[in-house]
Amino acid sequence: MIRVSDLSKRFGATLAVDRVSFEVSRGEVVGFLGPNGAGKTTTIRVLTCYHPATSGSASIAGCDVATDSLRARRAIGYLPENVPIYPDLRVVEYLHYRAALKGVPRKDRRAAVQRAMEKAEVVDVARKPCGNVSRGYRQRVGLADALVANPPILILDEPTSGLDPNQRRRIKQVVRDLATEHTILFSSHILSEVQDVSSRILVIHRGTLRADGAPAELVAKSAARTLRAVAKASPSQMLDLATGVPGLRGARATRVDDVCSALVAEVAPGVDPSADVGARLLAAGLVPTELRIDMPTLEEFFHRVTEGGDEGAADTLGGVA
Amino acid sequence: MNGAWVTFKKELLSYLVSPVGWVIAVVFYLWRGYEMAQEAERFAVRRLDLDLFSTSSYGLPSTFLMVLLVPGVLTMRCFAEERRTGSIETLMTAPVRDGAVVVGKWGAAAVFFSLLWLPSIVVLWVLGFEPFFGVGLSFGPVIAAYLGMFLLSGMLLAFGCFASSLTDNLLLAALLAILFDFALLSLPRQIAAGVSDLENRYYLREILQKFDVAQNFADWFSRGLIDTSQVAFYVGGVVFFLFLTTVSLSSRRYA
Repeated sequence: MIRVSDLSKRFGATLAVDRVSFEVSRGEVVGFLGPNGAGKTTTIRVLTCYHPATSGSASIAGCDVATDSLRARRAIGYLPENVPIYPDLRVVEYLHYRAALKGVPRKDRRAAVQRAMEKAEVVDVARKPCGNVSRGYRQRVGLADALVANPPILILDEPTSGLDPNQRRRIKQVVRDLATEHTILFSSHILSEVQDVSSRILVIHRGTLRADGAPAELVAKSAARTLRAVAKASPSQMLDLATGVPGLRGARATRVDDVCSALVAEVAPGVDPSADVGARLLAAGLVPTELRIDMPTLEEFFHRVTEGGDEGAADTLGGVA
Repeated sequence: MNGAWVTFKKELLSYLVSPVGWVIAVVFYLWRGYEMAQEAERFAVRRLDLDLFSTSSYGLPSTFLMVLLVPGVLTMRCFAEERRTGSIETLMTAPVRDGAVVVGKWGAAAVFFSLLWLPSIVVLWVLGFEPFFGVGLSFGPVIAAYLGMFLLSGMLLAFGCFASSLTDNLLLAALLAILFDFALLSLPRQIAAGVSDLENRYYLREILQKFDVAQNFADWFSRGLIDTSQVAFYVGGVVFFLFLTTVSLSSRRYA
């Protein structure tokens, strides 16, 4: 449904997006992650035909955004980051106007507006002027606008930006519900949201695509798991225990309190050394009070990809994309 | 043309609910009413030919100020406001052609501007009854003059749209349009006055004559004469500036 190939966008001397390529298939919900200023909005603006690409190409539902812009725009429902809506129009009037502008036939317009308002949960502010609704409702009015022509693709740019936790939860729920009927690309820099809602994530940083894949898969492949064992022993005893265990590396031991020490070590991919470590502890007469393998978090992965320099990026894309 | 029609309706509604339009209307009519009363008194006291009254009412200062200032003020919002608030992004990413948006916005401004003028016809009509003049005033020149006024205003409004597409500053957009209106109304005459051997320069003379909007208006439309070359000039101006506005908007897509 969305195909981006070697897309670059330059603003004067600044290269905002650098040879980005990805595809989004029908029915996918893809999170577009990146720190502020990473190039998310610029990429989205090229996809929505607001800006032209400097080089490369992008197509929406088979229509090139540069040469077949009108048809491409017909296939998109777009929620921009700042949700610019006309403050003097009532919510229902605004949605009627947008439906008409998007070519929804007059006879279907009332039903289309009603359906969009119900999906975005803005029915209770339908008669209010857009300028008088809260930030959360404003965001949902923008979402209703994106939905009003029932496009197959939704592109949502930071749909939860500036919202309180309750409003964020509502928007996430709405996006989750929409996922059954639409292909969704939504950008965010809030990791938990992306993890909750999307089946796949794209990470962009400094204009380049750093990662592409399912969140769990990306996290597992890009960051190491950690083994942690705590027992009534000295740090040196714990370190001795770790020596020679297959799949453990970078072991270090620290004292937890007067009697216990903790062993922390990286675990190699595809290996589970916890049984081995447990058996060694018992054999040495040490009773473990804690023995677990910690999975890396998306946050750690994101930090690694966006702050870890090009090395981390190469690891991630090379392994997953 | 669906996009143009939808934009036209929305924009016209915005003008009708906006206080700016009504403030212009109220100020214009208070002033116009005062001027018309003075003019009527002048005709009555001096026993001037009443057939000339309708035509003479176009020479009133309010006419020129309306033509000079109002197109820029009405159109300053068209695109500058959309840029300022960011709604240009939702507008330009909707499946509608840039040209349709431009035509819709210009059309709404033109219709609202015309609505501002229409009650002045009623004033003329009322003045024809007792206890005012008590004679039928000549409406032939009125129709021609209104047509000329709409054509000229249409061109100035089209330039106003263009000025508004260049910036996100409403005041700057209005100022640009007003400067253009002022230049169009006064520059050709001033240039002509400054050229010593204008009689020998055929092309310069012709060009200045074509662009001397104020003189052409006085020579043709206000006398009840409709010259097709004048009509073509204004219609061409409308098309030209709407085209420039569309190019200005679309340039974002080709940057």
